[in-house]
Amino acid sequence: MKYNGHTQSLRGTYDWGALPYGMRNAFSMAGLVMAASFLGFGALIRDLGVTLSAGVFSVAAIWALPGQVVFFSMVAHGATLPATALVVTLTAIRLLPMTLLVLARVRLRNAPRWPEFLLAHLTAVTLWVIAGRSMEKWPRERRLPCLVGTGLMLMALMSVMTVIGYMLADNLPRILSAGLVFLSPAFFLTSLFANASYRFDYAAVIFGGVLSPFAVMLFPDFDLLVSGLVGGTAAFWLFAPRRGRSH
Amino acid sequence: MQDLPMWIKIVLAGTVVTYLWRMLGVVLISRLDPQGTMMLWIRAVATALVASLVMRLMILPSQMMSVTTLTNRLSALFIGLVVLFTIRRNTVIAVFSAVLALMLMAWLQQG
Repeated sequence: MKYNGHTQSLRGTYDWGALPYGMRNAFSMAGLVMAASFLGFGALIRDLGVTLSAGVFSVAAIWALPGQVVFFSMVAHGATLPATALVVTLTAIRLLPMTLLVLARVRLRNAPRWPEFLLAHLTAVTLWVIAGRSMEKWPRERRLPCLVGTGLMLMALMSVMTVIGYMLADNLPRILSAGLVFLSPAFFLTSLFANASYRFDYAAVIFGGVLSPFAVMLFPDFDLLVSGLVGGTAAFWLFAPRRGRSH
Repeated sequence: MQDLPMWIKIVLAGTVVTYLWRMLGVVLISRLDPQGTMMLWIRAVATALVASLVMRLMILPSQMMSVTTLTNRLSALFIGLVVLFTIRRNTVIAVFSAVLALMLMAWLQQG
């Protein structure tokens, strides 16, 4: 579909022709980092005695790695279903702000809502990072389809990585496995700094990191929530945004 | 309840309780101004939350990362950030520097 640069934000329909372009975005640094994490996930479920099909099903059904890891480690250790559900839902609270931030960048106001519910299921930290980096150059009606394409392709790739990780589980050198697991936190931290533009962004990274050990000690089950809310709010309050972006 | 097929357990204690928060996001976004102060505050909270997730992974490492020490992991992250700010905000080079630094430190300690 052609688009008219002047009326793009008023149009009420998404341009799904952007979907294949979005799929290409899955083959990026973000995708590579995610692949390493899912390799680790595959190895982990093998370690926990989970069947491969259950592990792969969880990739598409849950699509949030911390939740998947918590789910299988609790079920493997005999936790009840309600207890497991409670802990999984706690790890998933972070998806609320992620979904809000991703949708704010890509949604059209007058369009049908169902594509937003689809994109929400695909949203996690990696997609937030991708959305923060690559959406500005796209016309508004192509953004959501593009991200849906990225999300679906990532989901397919990560299912494959889970299978590979499961099969490689016993054969990876220990230092290499450690490096693979370390890729995700290293990528998240560098992306937070690389995508920071307001002063409160930098402050939020530092406050969140510094508060984390205390939150882990004091509120072991809610540590992310506590350090996220306290650190983020403090950063936002102390370094109130000034609209002129400064690096 | 423990006898349910695994896929039903995954849907009940995984999919439903995870999608809940995503769905809440879709419901709430139509009531928020995407350029407003509220969204900026949410951004600050999300940023601090991911930063503390990173820190938690450093202080409570998974089984696979336990060949490295806390000092190894924190210095590797620091090296990655130094590279990031030295080489024109290139994330790829920064991430790989951090990972290589960690593997090198672990290897030297082992030897």
